[in-house]
Amino acid sequence: MSKHSALNRFGRSGNPAFSKGFGINENISGEAMTLDGTVNKTGILLALCVGGAYFGWNSPGLVMPAILIGFVIALFTIFRPKNSPYTAPAYAAIEGVALGGITMIFEAQYPGIGIQAIGLTFGILASLLFCYKSGIIKPTENFRLMIFAGTMGIFILYLVSFIMSFFGNSIGFIHSNGLFGIGFSLFVVAIASLNLVLDFDFIEEGAEKGMPKYLEWYGAFSLMVTLIWLYLEILRLLAKIRSR
Amino acid sequence: MNSIIFIILALFSLYVFFKLGKVRASGKQLNRDNRINRFGQKEQRGNIIEGESEEIKDDDEK
Repeated sequence: MSKHSALNRFGRSGNPAFSKGFGINENISGEAMTLDGTVNKTGILLALCVGGAYFGWNSPGLVMPAILIGFVIALFTIFRPKNSPYTAPAYAAIEGVALGGITMIFEAQYPGIGIQAIGLTFGILASLLFCYKSGIIKPTENFRLMIFAGTMGIFILYLVSFIMSFFGNSIGFIHSNGLFGIGFSLFVVAIASLNLVLDFDFIEEGAEKGMPKYLEWYGAFSLMVTLIWLYLEILRLLAKIRSR
Repeated sequence: MNSIIFIILALFSLYVFFKLGKVRASGKQLNRDNRINRFGQKEQRGNIIEGESEEIKDDDEK
């Protein structure tokens, strides 16, 4: 009897995770993801976001509903990436409404802050894209782990602060305009910016490995989520600096 | 004046994004051993031993 009789009888591995990776064999007959397609779709999402922002600017009362609906759509997109061709544009437009309203509120207090935040957000986007494409910043598993830990830490801190606000308390330093508050905002901006590098790497790897076409929308959606977060953090940072 | 500078920065950055985004990353970025492997496709390493294969039978050990 052969030494490998057990392997011959039961096969090398019954676990599909070993025979194929996430979505790898889904793209046998369909079109593959490309860099061009993802960049174009990011352009579409940005245009939708600007359109939504125009609407939100004129109706700031819609900020909270837009944030909540946007959050639900974002979660749905993350857990169902195949639906991203439909949910990503909806997310961009609805978050645009929220951003328009928020920017209008900040603009009323600090004139000119909106365009400063937009300029800095896109400036960071372009400079980090250059750093990624040229290989100056090289994302590795450790890099991803570090950024993930930082992002989760910020998320938990914001969540705790949000829950405490219902009881009339708050984590003071994250909203203060003191040196510690500005330092915290700078840290959050840095973490949000480095998340862009992970998004670029996701798109590059997906296009390189010929992943399914719908991941173009998913890649553009990831980029939009990070850009919206970065914009809001820059807006908060500038407001803290100008309120001193 | 301040706003004009930021508008120019935003427009120039968007132009850079739409141009550079469509270009493949440099070899320095792509040809690394420590890249993140999200989609589970492992790169083929040069560990294939060339030559004829031979079935091992229980009798061979004796």
